[in-house]
Amino acid sequence: MSSRDYLGEFEHIIVLALLRLEDQAYGVTVRQEIEVRTRREVSIGAVYATLDRLERKGYVKSHRGDPTPERGGRSKRFFRVTAKGVAAVNRTQRALQGLTEGLDLIRSYS
Amino acid sequence: MTSQEGFGRPPRIATWFVKLFASAEEESILGDLLEEYSDLASKSGVPFARRWYWRQTVKTILHLGGTGFRGAPWSTAVAVIGGFVLHRFISGLPDKILSTVTDRYLAFWSTHFNAYVWMLNGMSIEHLIGAMFVGCVVALVAKGREMIATMTLALVLCVFIGAAFVWIATHRPMDVAWMLWACADPLAIVFGGAIVRMRRSAAATPPASICTD
Repeated sequence: MSSRDYLGEFEHIIVLALLRLEDQAYGVTVRQEIEVRTRREVSIGAVYATLDRLERKGYVKSHRGDPTPERGGRSKRFFRVTAKGVAAVNRTQRALQGLTEGLDLIRSYS
Repeated sequence: MTSQEGFGRPPRIATWFVKLFASAEEESILGDLLEEYSDLASKSGVPFARRWYWRQTVKTILHLGGTGFRGAPWSTAVAVIGGFVLHRFISGLPDKILSTVTDRYLAFWSTHFNAYVWMLNGMSIEHLIGAMFVGCVVALVAKGREMIATMTLALVLCVFIGAAFVWIATHRPMDVAWMLWACADPLAIVFGGAIVRMRRSAAATPPASICTD
């Protein structure tokens, strides 16, 4: 993976949600965290499709928890951000900050 | 008491649709949906939770369908083209067999005309079984994207059927029964894909005593 690889918009949002949730990050909490923080309704399918892509890129890792009766005997899949993922989110943040620096977004473009 | 006993089950058809499309993530997605459904049902009521479940199902299916195709466009396309060729070959077989048999045993059919009529009617069912077989083969080839591949093939066939409808409507009197019957092939292909997907899903699910779906 090149050092110029940036996260896509939704990838960026998901990685930030994982960082906020720390060791409590699984499908439900990630989806709810994004909805609460961004006021945007997201589907669980979109969350998992993006998490799978991030895992293939090596930006996140996952492990399965124990099955629980509340989930019909199904296990949770917990996610955490890898060092490579943290580097990618920092790179993306810096690129966005560089682009927005000096712009008076609220006054000039609203 | 499990959450399902307290607030009823989430919509079964919606759950079945998610199972069809979420191949690798089936367990996690269904578990997450059930957990949120139970939580919503206790806070906002069952009707609200059911609407939310259906909304999530539709969005999830659309998303998984899109990412499934984009993830492996070439192998999906090969499965669809192969399925199309196989369907062309198989759909012509019953007619060929019937004409061979009638030519060979002409004397028999003239004395057993009812059997001949029965065989003609049976051909339509053979067409359907053939289309379902094609759906199964395409789904077997497109492992993990069974529904995407069979639905794409069904859509391609629908385009051809639609073009045939337009041609017939402008050149010949409309035969509504034939038109309806022509739509059965794409449905049978998708049904074949669903059979393979459900078989794979059942084989991949570990036996769990507390699993209720």
